[in-house]
Amino acid sequence: MLNLFLMVFAGYAAGLVLPLCFPAKPRVQSLLAHGLAGLASGAGILLGVTGLLAPEPWTSSAQSTVPFLTFSLRLDPLASFFVLTISLAGLAASVFALGYVTEFFGKSSIAAMGSLYNGFLLSMTLVVMADNGFFFLILWELMSLLSYFLVVTDHEKAEVRYAGLFYLIMAHAGTAFIVLAFLVFFQEAGSFAFEMFRHPQQPLSEGMRSLAFLLALVGFGTKAGIVPLHVWLPYAHPAAPSHVSALMSGVMIKTAVYALIRVYFDFLGGEFPWWWGFTVLAIGALSALLGVMYALMEHDLKSLLAYHSVENIGIILLGIGAGMIFQTYGLKEFAALGLLAGLYHTINHAMFKALLFMGAGSLLYATHTRNMEEYGGLLRRMPWTGFFFLIGAVSISALPPTNGFVSEWLVFQSLFLSFHIPSVLLKLMLPVVAAILALTSVLALACFAKAFGISFLALPRSSHARHAREVPFPMKLGMGLLAAICLLLGLLPMIVVPLLDRVGAPFARVAIAEKVVALDGWALAPVNVEFSSLSTPTIALGLAGLALLGLCVVLIFGGLAKARYYKTWGCGINLNPRMEYTATGFVQPIKRVFSTIYQPTVKLETELLEESRYFAKRRRFEFHIEPVFQKYLYDPVVTFFATTADRLRVIQAGSLHLYLTYIFVTLVVLLLLAV
Amino acid sequence: MMLQAVILIVAQAIILLALSPFVVGLIRKVKARLQLRRGASPLQPYTDLAKLFRKQPVISTTTSWIFTATPYILFSSTLLAGLLVPIFTSTIPLNFAGNIIALVYLLALGTFFLILAGLDAGSTFGGMGSSREAIIASLTEPAMIMSIFAIALAAGSTNLSTIVHKTALLDGIMTDPSPHLMALAALFIVALAETGRVPVDNPATHLELTMIHEAMILEYSGRYLALVEWAAGLKLLVFLSLIANIFAPWGIATTLEPAALGVGLATYLVKVSALAVLIGVIESMFAKLRLFRVTDFLGVAFILALLGMIFFYVLRG
Amino acid sequence: MSPHIGSQLVDLGAALLLLTCFAIVAQRRLSACVDLFALQSVFLAATAALVAFLTGIHHIYAAAALTIIIKAVVIPRILKQVIERLNVTRELVMNINVPAGLLICGGLVMLAFYITQPIIPLGFLLTRDSLAIALAIVLIGFFTMIARKKAVTQVIGFLVMENGLFLGATAAAYGMPLIVELGVFFDVLVGALIIGIYAHRLQDAFDSVDTSKLTILKE
Repeated sequence: MLNLFLMVFAGYAAGLVLPLCFPAKPRVQSLLAHGLAGLASGAGILLGVTGLLAPEPWTSSAQSTVPFLTFSLRLDPLASFFVLTISLAGLAASVFALGYVTEFFGKSSIAAMGSLYNGFLLSMTLVVMADNGFFFLILWELMSLLSYFLVVTDHEKAEVRYAGLFYLIMAHAGTAFIVLAFLVFFQEAGSFAFEMFRHPQQPLSEGMRSLAFLLALVGFGTKAGIVPLHVWLPYAHPAAPSHVSALMSGVMIKTAVYALIRVYFDFLGGEFPWWWGFTVLAIGALSALLGVMYALMEHDLKSLLAYHSVENIGIILLGIGAGMIFQTYGLKEFAALGLLAGLYHTINHAMFKALLFMGAGSLLYATHTRNMEEYGGLLRRMPWTGFFFLIGAVSISALPPTNGFVSEWLVFQSLFLSFHIPSVLLKLMLPVVAAILALTSVLALACFAKAFGISFLALPRSSHARHAREVPFPMKLGMGLLAAICLLLGLLPMIVVPLLDRVGAPFARVAIAEKVVALDGWALAPVNVEFSSLSTPTIALGLAGLALLGLCVVLIFGGLAKARYYKTWGCGINLNPRMEYTATGFVQPIKRVFSTIYQPTVKLETELLEESRYFAKRRRFEFHIEPVFQKYLYDPVVTFFATTADRLRVIQAGSLHLYLTYIFVTLVVLLLLAV
Repeated sequence: MMLQAVILIVAQAIILLALSPFVVGLIRKVKARLQLRRGASPLQPYTDLAKLFRKQPVISTTTSWIFTATPYILFSSTLLAGLLVPIFTSTIPLNFAGNIIALVYLLALGTFFLILAGLDAGSTFGGMGSSREAIIASLTEPAMIMSIFAIALAAGSTNLSTIVHKTALLDGIMTDPSPHLMALAALFIVALAETGRVPVDNPATHLELTMIHEAMILEYSGRYLALVEWAAGLKLLVFLSLIANIFAPWGIATTLEPAALGVGLATYLVKVSALAVLIGVIESMFAKLRLFRVTDFLGVAFILALLGMIFFYVLRG
Repeated sequence: MSPHIGSQLVDLGAALLLLTCFAIVAQRRLSACVDLFALQSVFLAATAALVAFLTGIHHIYAAAALTIIIKAVVIPRILKQVIERLNVTRELVMNINVPAGLLICGGLVMLAFYITQPIIPLGFLLTRDSLAIALAIVLIGFFTMIARKKAVTQVIGFLVMENGLFLGATAAAYGMPLIVELGVFFDVLVGALIIGIYAHRLQDAFDSVDTSKLTILKE
């Protein structure tokens, strides 16, 4: 295990340093950085699998001279699972990057980018293994900073700098809350070692536990992008280069999920007041619904995907929240099921979101625009990218038999099992949450029908799209890898579930894999085969078989006569791209139905012909969605700080003597205090 | 055992495939009679399908492989969904493959590809149909999940076969009528919306302002249109079977005795025909709603299902 | 009839009452709202008669008969006349739109059940489950008065509340003493008349029965 870890570490470290040694050779730099990152994440996959299967957690520790800080690592099943997830996405992203960064040759420093990329992957891998609060915080900060630098790769653009700054501020505000949460634990534990957090000398009082719960929720929630702390995410994730966006949206926000599980189920033990689970569930439902709703209105493909991350974090939290509620009432098996559903969705989302971001990256590579309205007809020009993107889209829309469907199905089951809960309020609430989840998943379906349909189908809508060409092989390979993993995760739940159960079992204090995997591994049955069952392999076989049946029916009744190809009927006019339905038009009914949430403002300017007022010379249509959270939640805070800073300016006179006086006075006061 | 399962699956597939055009034809016949027309024979859809299969298809040059693959995907996903619903016997072999949520999502798979196909030809009509289908699908799904939950609560299961079997035998089933009726009403509204019937959509119109389902499939012809039409009929039959057998499973074969199977099949035919007549009557009595009034209609369905669930708890409590 | 089936039937009646409430919330046509109210009153009378039959308390029959006469016949007729004369057929603008209103009412039902949850198991009467439904009906009636703008629908909201109260009284105590019942009926009738006249005055003053116009009356 140690060897594997050292391989991972050495790989990333080499990838961090070596590219810097070959100045002005971008091709070599890219090959070194991404090749080494690929090798290291390959080793990381092995490390994760070994850690998952190991009977005992692996630990390793090195003392430092700084008080309270030890460089201790611990690889228990939970950490291993996240190492595995990060490494899988890391491997695919590295392969993808080999092709993708050629776009940046001569524009940005490939050495810096590759080196930061390795550092970013290393910090994520370490952060889930850290076993000391202090060490964890350092790595956490490092992860935020490195990703910040990656976000501002295109720093010539003002909006990228804005996105980066926004991200940095939010990340630090979040970290402040995490520090506070850890201090709550530290107070009783007297040490930053996670082992002491787990078993403090004196158990924390109820109030302190709840305080830690809330602080962790806000702190890690900022990183995870829960509503209403999600506002930075749709700016920052799309601004980064696409392979980095894939990692940020796919796995970096998952480190927050990791930390939440670690804090709630590990540190705070299995006893929760009911309102904890309720809060997590409510936030999950809100994030899922609002995430997908805002995603629908986005026509920048990468921002759309970023909003979907908010949605999927919400779905993950639904599983975890349901698990917490069941834990409250001692329904251990169901708690394990909820946790399992959340974890399953975690890895699924990491895979398909990384895949979709790479797809978006490929479109960006081929067309040099992120605006969906300028795509169109790309499936014929980029068949492989289109095919992989379709697999990602089907998975994220939770359609059978893909992986997204399996995990959402598990979340549904854990919500449906709510009738075992004694509390009436929760009994009534969980099915409502299930209905919200249903709405969310169909809206996601609509959103990806839009994303795929507008981007890849029909006629090209701009000359960018007309001249698009298929992306180079490494990019296809990176996407193909993830597409294959998505399909496997969907078709082989009987292999995935026992592994995930090893993660959840220590926290729920019961193993359910034997019960969930029923009928010799052909079906999932949570937790009772009478209540519900699902067999994705059978569904996949059935779909394929019946499609063949359809073909047979065609052969029997009419035969495969050669089709005639002709242009689409356009009411007598030749069809042109301007007559196609746009992304804006596609979501118009949804915008109208949910106008309470969107608060849209529509502006229509018409310039009429002088000769006749029945004909318009030109029309201009604009619509905006009210950024509710920014306007009512963030702007007041920003204004407050701005005005306070303004007032404090009086002490900033610009005089050197005055500043020296400040320092002198502070020194004297401190000396006095010390006495 | 294995052989028996295969026979049952094949039998069910054949019944579904053979019966679905008849249901469509029956509804048309009922509507015609209510409008004092003679109308075509209920068997007309069979001839239509046969003719479509023989015709040469015309495919738009702007389309991609999605367009030609969609009819097959739609056909297979809808038929597979149909195989998850007990029709004449309550013990179906594919029970383990998926519960009622899997059924909902299988139908959604077909909808997803149909929306894509609507966009693929590049015509405005297709896009319009797809866009409307997306909003209607989004609004029906929560109501459907809610009514499913109300039903699942009563039977203590989400597996369709188990629900039907238990209800047919009145075994451990809650007998309070009100939650049952509310969930039934909700599911009926959902069925009307999902299968594109009046008052949500009008299957008989090709008017650009109103059509939804027909707009999406406007570019299809020949064998592709035949498959799509057949799948649409199947979807209708799947919903009718769901309603008939979940809420009134009595008569369905609970054992695999030949006599019981015969009775089961006969009652199934009667129930489905009765529901088809009911839909025909409803289509003649009501006008199609404006698109943005459909939200009110589906909102009622959601609330009904929600109330069904609440009532279940309260009447038990 | 066994008490179990009897209690189920009473529950069914109460459920139908609640459903008509939702129908009123979803309905935009005023005359249809009035019809739905009449239907609700018929269900109420039927439920009350059923309770009377099951318990053998005869004065509930009288109350049921009065309900039919006054609430299902007289008041709807008055309201229809008002609608016809004032020529207001539908409510196009509402304070809260229909789907949102339905969702809020769904929430109100959950609230009602949550509130009555601790009380219900204490009851011993066969109608105890209906108490929650009665409270829900009262809340929805109140909500209707807030959500709608036209005076006529506000009257309907008020009458729905009254129906809820009647059901509640039947549920909690097998009805109020007959004299109280009579007084209430008289009040409701007078109330409906007064509001009918008030709607006329509104129409005269503002050419509309939109009560939100009343805000311009200040000073």
